[in-house]
Amino acid sequence: MNNLIVGEDIVKIYGEGDEQRRVLDQVSLTIEEGEFMAVMGPSGSGKTTLMFALSGMDGLDGGRVAYRGRNLAELDERELSDLRRNEMGFVFQQPTLLKNLNILDNIILPALRNGKESAAQLTRKARALMKRMGIESLEKRDITQASGGQLQRAGICRALMGKPSIIFGDEPTGALNSKSAEEIMDIFAQIVDEGTAVMLVTHDAKVAARTQHILFMRDGKIVSELRFLKKNSPSLDQRLRLITERMREVGI
Amino acid sequence: MYGRLVRNDMAKSKLTTATTMAFIAAAAMLVFLALFMVVHLLGAIDNLMTQSKTPHFMQMHSGTLDEERLKAFAQKNSQVEEFQVLEFLNMEGADILLGDNSLISNVQDNGLCIQSDKFDFLLDLEGRVIRPKPGELYVPLCYFKDGTAKVGDRAVIHGREFRVAGFLRDSQMNSTLSSSKRFLVSQEDFEALRDLGNTEYLIEFRLKDLSMLGAFETAYIGAGLEANGPTITYPLFKMVNAISDGIMMGVILLISALVVAIAFMCIRFTLLAKIEEDYREIGVLKAIGIRVSDIKKIYQAKYAAIGAAGCVLGLFLALVLKDRILENIRLFMGESHQSFTATLLGITGIILVFLTVMAYVNRVLKRFKSISVQEALRYGTSGEPAKGAQHFTLSRSRLLNVNVFLGIKDVLARKKLYGTMLVVLVLAAFIMIVPINLRHTLESERFIGYMGIGQCDILINIQQTTDISEKAESIVSHLAKDKDISKFALHTTKAFKVKKGDGSEESIKVQLGDHQMFPIAYSEGRAPVSEDEIALSVINAQELGYKVGDVLTLVIQGRERAFKVSGIYSDITNGGKTAKAVFSDKDTGVMWCTLSVALADKALVKTKLSTLTKAFPFAKILDIEDYAEQILGPTINAIGLARSVAIAIALTLSVLVTLLFMRMLVAKDSHAIAILKSLGFTNNDLRWQYGTRSVFVLVIGFVLGTLLANTLGQGMAGGLFASMGAASFRFETHGLSAYVIAPLAMALSVFAATVLGTWKAGSIKLSENIKE
Repeated sequence: MNNLIVGEDIVKIYGEGDEQRRVLDQVSLTIEEGEFMAVMGPSGSGKTTLMFALSGMDGLDGGRVAYRGRNLAELDERELSDLRRNEMGFVFQQPTLLKNLNILDNIILPALRNGKESAAQLTRKARALMKRMGIESLEKRDITQASGGQLQRAGICRALMGKPSIIFGDEPTGALNSKSAEEIMDIFAQIVDEGTAVMLVTHDAKVAARTQHILFMRDGKIVSELRFLKKNSPSLDQRLRLITERMREVGI
Repeated sequence: MYGRLVRNDMAKSKLTTATTMAFIAAAAMLVFLALFMVVHLLGAIDNLMTQSKTPHFMQMHSGTLDEERLKAFAQKNSQVEEFQVLEFLNMEGADILLGDNSLISNVQDNGLCIQSDKFDFLLDLEGRVIRPKPGELYVPLCYFKDGTAKVGDRAVIHGREFRVAGFLRDSQMNSTLSSSKRFLVSQEDFEALRDLGNTEYLIEFRLKDLSMLGAFETAYIGAGLEANGPTITYPLFKMVNAISDGIMMGVILLISALVVAIAFMCIRFTLLAKIEEDYREIGVLKAIGIRVSDIKKIYQAKYAAIGAAGCVLGLFLALVLKDRILENIRLFMGESHQSFTATLLGITGIILVFLTVMAYVNRVLKRFKSISVQEALRYGTSGEPAKGAQHFTLSRSRLLNVNVFLGIKDVLARKKLYGTMLVVLVLAAFIMIVPINLRHTLESERFIGYMGIGQCDILINIQQTTDISEKAESIVSHLAKDKDISKFALHTTKAFKVKKGDGSEESIKVQLGDHQMFPIAYSEGRAPVSEDEIALSVINAQELGYKVGDVLTLVIQGRERAFKVSGIYSDITNGGKTAKAVFSDKDTGVMWCTLSVALADKALVKTKLSTLTKAFPFAKILDIEDYAEQILGPTINAIGLARSVAIAIALTLSVLVTLLFMRMLVAKDSHAIAILKSLGFTNNDLRWQYGTRSVFVLVIGFVLGTLLANTLGQGMAGGLFASMGAASFRFETHGLSAYVIAPLAMALSVFAATVLGTWKAGSIKLSENIKE
């Protein structure tokens, strides 16, 4: 498989003077095309910061991130925005939908900004995605009129509209009940099957167990990793046990 | 702890803190100065009127006078304390030369008088009664103020030489609003010039009890004594004295109200922005059980500090400026001896400004109560439900660019939020357009129609001379022979008596002649054509109570004659009280004659003017444009100045409010901005969105402002002109200035302020605003 994103010696520092804190301390990693990856770690371990760094949403204090060989530090604000809009999708713990727009408009918004397809074409596409996610009845609703799980699905629809190469998910199931969480993970698995890479940040071992490649972080460093080479083995329970053991080993 | 929090906070937002403080300081200063002026003005007027013993009742009279009869009336009336008749020797402006300046183009009735023995004294600048020596001339203060004369100047009146010995305060005629001005000379000089001017009489009374003024007035009128001229009473003198400075104080108070309103907006926007920034913290504090009143104290402390500093600064500025603002009052009316009271009242005013600011801050802080802990913790911003514009959706909008759509949608969804900005922009557009249109209207050729004069090129006036009719005839025969003149009309003004409904009679000035050749603006009806028709000026029609079609009775040479009112027209000259008719009358005395002249070639106006002036030295020959300029010039200039000031205020206000508003909006929208940026919207996209919001609000604001200007503004200006005699006032719109340049200037200012105000949106950290 080809490398999609390569991070080398990434350093991110918060605070100034005596209060300086290395949130990412020389982190290196590679995300391959179509890979299903999870980053695990306790609060404050730097996993969300790593996601912001890899997606170009935050600048770096050291090291480099390359997307398909292009160094993100060399892209200007407009190119970075284009990259995020055309190549990446984001799903956050809290649904980040705009309050002014109804759910359908929220879903087509970034794709419409691209200007490649008309509103009508995008609406058709969005409806198909909404149907697939089981939220087709919500298109005209305000975002205040939908549940957390429904909004999260809408957020995924929005992320998929531009046919991205990678979807970043920051605790995408964190605010959901277990049934909804499972459904969302099924969707991510499908997305990966269709060839899109997914990188999830989570502290939930159950979520990580659905992925194939797990990075363990502590104090701004990647301290361990696990890879499952086959899609369906070992079984979910075995994976869960392996992950918990590894977490205990590295002290997280 | 509060002190540290407040200091930190101010250091972080230096610009807005400084702006807010500056506006509070300006408001405090203006309120102080206005109140300070009120006390001084009232005190100074009282002093002046006491020192000069202003008459309680004065009847002006021209014509013959029976002094014995008046004396008898005064002796018999128990209210009268003192009585006197003063002479006022009316002089042509052309016959008065002060230094190198002739009063030829002066619109005041200038006249000579001698010092009174009993009361109504003319005072020098020290407040002493002036006793002029032969050859000395004391000049009204207004000619010092406008630079016409200075002490030591040589003055010539009707060939007699004087020296300007000083300036005088005249408790009756100080104000430029009073149309007469008294020059003081010695008895000897007065007698020498007596036959060269028209004598008018000032019949003056001082009463034992001023509260009996009303009864006395009735008694005077009832006695049928001399009354050919206006009657003026003590309260009216007081008002005339107060009005010029009073208007200025009113304007200052109005401006300070505006400044306070701007300060409030600064406070509102910065405070709301701060609350938005601190939303999560406030939510946390509330969640852990800190009382709202304790949280509020931090913000109150900050604004108490800003308010107090602003007020102290304002007081300091006011103390520096207070003497300058009193210059005019001191010059015209002298000292008031009220400094302590004035300062005390001024400081009270400043304290009031401070309290108002604090009350307002508290009102804004009421919002704290409604902060939802859940929303604060979840989103970090207030979650206003997006109401309205539900059908305006992206999926259905085919034409709009995404950013433009998002901009417009936001305004429609949060109408209440944008309301403040809209109100300010409506106001800004209004205060820009009204003076632009007003000035244009005054300058327009059509406006001369409101002045009771038809559109002509040259106006010839023959008045205050002997044999007016003969002189007019000589001009007429000259004009008839002149081939350069395309047409002309002679109007002769005579005074008749009009019989009122209750049988009493009142004097009315009627202009006789052809009124169709140079038509004027009729608000109703038309010009008189037949001998039994008459047209009335608006004010005359109102006061006499006639409508078009009514029958009015004039007393001509003792015989009553009925006329049908054919029309009502606007006239702001001659106090707005005139009439026009076409009947012929040979016997009644002529007051003055006017000739309206139109030239075949307008380029000849200047040469024709000089030939006519040489040929007829007794007549006042005016270029109609100069004439309009003389009457309206000061008003046009004043409105021109007002226009410039209004434009400056409107643009500054728009920039300031947009800037503060946008900064607040960015703080409020930080979460949404972060979402958009994470979705790949560029900073430029965001600028477009915010620009659209501003421009959208601006367009609505400008349209509403224009509508308001052309309705309410026109009504206000119309009301002003109606009080002067011009009915059916309509704005002459200056399309280019009002509807192209003004909105463009506003759009540019607002857009620049938006770009500046939303600059920070680009640097919003995604990680800080969406991180869980």
